[in-house]
Amino acid sequence: MVGINARRFFGLIARLVLASVFISAALPKLKDPVAFAAAIDAYRTISGSWAMAAATVLPWLELIIAVGLLTPWLRRASAWIMALLLGLFIALHLSAWARGLNIDCGCFGESGSSPDYHWLILRNLALLLATVFILRIAQRNKNAPESTL
Amino acid sequence: MFREFLIIALLTALGAAYSLVSGLAPLPWAEPELEAGEIRLIDARVLDVIWVDARSESEFADGHAPDALFYDQADPAGSMADILEQWLQEPRLIVVYCTDEGCGTSKKIAEELRVNLPDAEIYSLKGGWSAWLE
Repeated sequence: MVGINARRFFGLIARLVLASVFISAALPKLKDPVAFAAAIDAYRTISGSWAMAAATVLPWLELIIAVGLLTPWLRRASAWIMALLLGLFIALHLSAWARGLNIDCGCFGESGSSPDYHWLILRNLALLLATVFILRIAQRNKNAPESTL
Repeated sequence: MFREFLIIALLTALGAAYSLVSGLAPLPWAEPELEAGEIRLIDARVLDVIWVDARSESEFADGHAPDALFYDQADPAGSMADILEQWLQEPRLIVVYCTDEGCGTSKKIAEELRVNLPDAEIYSLKGGWSAWLE
């Protein structure tokens, strides 16, 4: 019983932290998708219209899955998408680091500062672990009544 | 869970549509054609460029691109020397801009720069200073 309550408590904390990170990442990018497209371009993986399309869609996806994570109805799908996005971000940072690119992360809108790749990758790994934890709890609760905030 | 993914996809599409309709993001089919020697702001901003401001001195004082060099049309030789000095210190892309889309000064100055700096990569900014303000 104590174990279940602790799991629910840490699950709630994890969801709140992830939701707040993704919402604060999404909002500045929603306001200035052109700047975000420039940041995406700097990764030298997609460019031009594709970068602009990604810059238009991705912040909305981040916002919606952040809110979805806090609801019982969209929690599992949101957590899955979040895990995939975090995995993608880690791969992109590793790629940029390996190629010696000096990028603006673009994670929370344009910062203009040089990236600290260690910090970026470790942070995203920590967030990914939190997402995996939430997915495991969701899997255990699949047949149980939905937990509420 | 498929229904959950579908709901998220629909909400995301609605949000993206809102960004396009409200003008936050440019419509893909509205993207203007680039002429030869032009560069878009979105491309120039990710690069380490030498910005050259071809507007008036008062417009330059009101605001300009980061570390932009002012091109004084009353002193073209002096302005050219400044640009050359910057470029020789660290050769990189040179982007000239004037007021807006209709302004031809930046193209003219870019042409002059290409004659004087044949080894440099020189562009005029599509949309000019107006592109910065958008």
